[in-house]
Amino acid sequence: MKPIVVLICGLLLLVGCHTPAPPPTPDPDAELIEKGRQIFFNETFDGNGRTCGTCHPAENNFAIDPAFIASLPDDDPLFVAEFNPALKENFENPRLMREFGLIIENLDGFDDLANKFTLRGVPHTLGLRFAIDSSLGPRTGWSGDGSPGDGSLRSFATGAVIQHFTKTLNRVAGVDFRLPTDAELDALEAFQFSLGRQQELTLPLPLRGTVAKRGQAIFNDLTLGKCSACHFNAGANFNPNIPFPVTGNLNFNTGVEDLPDQPQDLTGELVPLDDGFGIPGDGTFNTPSLIEAADTGPFFHNNAIETIEGSVAFYNGDAFNNSPAGQLIQQATGSGINLDGTQVVEVSAFLRVINALENIRQSIELLEPVARKSHQTVEQGLRLLDLAARETEDSIMVLSAGGLHPEAVQHLKEALRLTRKAKRSIFSKSHLARQAIELQQKARAELVETS
Amino acid sequence: MLKHITIAATIFILIFGAFSVQAEKSTEMFIPIGQSPGVSGEYTVMGKIDQVNTRDQSIKMSGPSGSYTVRMTKHTFIYLDRSKTQLPNSYGTLADCKAGDTVEVKFVDNSRSKPIEWIKVQKAK
Repeated sequence: MKPIVVLICGLLLLVGCHTPAPPPTPDPDAELIEKGRQIFFNETFDGNGRTCGTCHPAENNFAIDPAFIASLPDDDPLFVAEFNPALKENFENPRLMREFGLIIENLDGFDDLANKFTLRGVPHTLGLRFAIDSSLGPRTGWSGDGSPGDGSLRSFATGAVIQHFTKTLNRVAGVDFRLPTDAELDALEAFQFSLGRQQELTLPLPLRGTVAKRGQAIFNDLTLGKCSACHFNAGANFNPNIPFPVTGNLNFNTGVEDLPDQPQDLTGELVPLDDGFGIPGDGTFNTPSLIEAADTGPFFHNNAIETIEGSVAFYNGDAFNNSPAGQLIQQATGSGINLDGTQVVEVSAFLRVINALENIRQSIELLEPVARKSHQTVEQGLRLLDLAARETEDSIMVLSAGGLHPEAVQHLKEALRLTRKAKRSIFSKSHLARQAIELQQKARAELVETS
Repeated sequence: MLKHITIAATIFILIFGAFSVQAEKSTEMFIPIGQSPGVSGEYTVMGKIDQVNTRDQSIKMSGPSGSYTVRMTKHTFIYLDRSKTQLPNSYGTLADCKAGDTVEVKFVDNSRSKPIEWIKVQKAK
C-alpha cells in the first residue's frame, strides 16, 4: 500500500511541479481590454436587454448566422421584436432574421421606418486592427459608414446602442437607452482591437497542399484571379503596390445588390435596395478581410451566398463583371474575372486553409494560458478552453467541408478531444492543454511548411 | 499592368465617385447636443442662435469661443434635439431654427471655413 501512496504522491508532485514556460510580456492594455470585454458581453445600456455580444457572440466568431440563431432560446434578446410589443413593428423582420441571419439597419434615416431600411448580415469583429483604416478615414460596418460622431470604431457602440438596443422606436437617450460614456467607448474599442489576429499575413505562404497552393497562386495573379488587388495578403486593404489615389480599406460597388434570385427576395418580404455608403448611398460597400472568411459565412453584406465556393464564383458572374468594380477590372486588365470550376475550388481551398491556420493560431493562443497556468480564475480557464474548442471545431469544419488535409483534421480532432477533456479535468488541465497545443502544431505543420 | 490599373482607377473614381470623404450617419440625430463621440468639444461649435438668414441659408451664432456665421447647404442635416424633455428627436428645417435656441454645429471635413454638415437645435417640445 505504502509504495502506491508514494507513487501517487510522486506523480502528483510531477504534475504540480511542472515548470511553466515564462509568460509573454503582459499587454499594457490588459485591464482596459478586460473592462471592454465585460461591457461588450454584459452591458445593456439600460435598453431592451441586448448587449454587443447578442449579435457578436464569442462562441460563434463574433457573428451570428441562421444555424447559431436556431440554437438560441426564444427569449434571447436577439428576438426582442418577437416579445416586446413596443418593438414588434419596424425594428426587425423576425422571419428574415431567423431564416437568413439578417438584421435591420436604418442607415438612410429614421423618417420612414416601414419602407426605408436595409437588411444586413452581422459582420464578425476579428482582425479589426487591419480592416478599418483608409486614407479617407475609418471605415466601419458593411458600407464603411457605420459609426456616428467621428466615424471611428470607438464611436461605433454609440450608433449600435441607438439602432439595436432601444426599448422603443422613439429612441430617446436617457429614456430608451443610455449612451456609452467616454470611458466605456475607450474600453470597448480596446477590446475589439484585441480580437483575432494582431498582424497581417505575408503571402505567399509555403503551403503544402497542392490545391490550396494553386489557389494561392491564382489569388495573387493580377491577370487571373485578380483577388489580391483589393484583398492584399488576403486582408481587407487595397494592394499598396498598385498606385492608387486612396489607400487602405476601400469601398467598391461590386454588384452584389444586382445578383438575381437572392434568397431573401424569394420570400416575398419587403427587401429594399441597399444603397451602401452615405445618404443617399453611392452603392459601395467596404472590403472585408478574407482570412477569417471561411468560417464566418454567409457572405457579403446581405448574406446573399452561403458557401465560400459560391462567394468566389460570384466574381465570375454578370452581377460582378457588369458592376463598377468589375468594369474597373476589365479596363485595367482587358478582361473580367473568369475562373473555371476547378479554379474556383482552388481559390476557395486557399481561403479555407488560411482560415484554418488562423483557427489554429487562435486555439494555441487560447490554450497557452491554461498550459502555463497563468490564467487568473477557474472561470477564465474554462472560458479559454471553451473558445479553444470552438476554434478547433471551426478548423475541422473548414478543412473537412473542402475535403482538405485529412491528416491535419485527425490531429485537430484529437486536439479537440483533449481540449474538451481539459475542460472537465480538475488536476490535468495544464497537461492536457499542452498536449492539445502539440497536436495543433502538428496540424499546422500539415498545412504549411514550418521552419 | 499596374499602370493600367491606376489609369482605370482614376477614371473609375471620376465616374463613380466611390471614394467620397463624406460619411453621413443616421444615428447622429438621436445623440443629444454635446455628446457626439469624438466630435463634440473637438470639432463642433456650441452656442446660441443670434440670427437666422433664410435668404442665404446661414445662421449667426455666438458661444463661449466667439461669434460665427455658419452656412448651410442642401446636404446639411438639421436635427431637433428634444432629449432634455424626454421627447423623440426628429429632422427639422431652417424654419425650426429660432434666435435664442441652443445649437451645436459640425462643419464639413471639420473645417470652419466650410459649410456645416449638421446642426443640432435644442427644442423643448
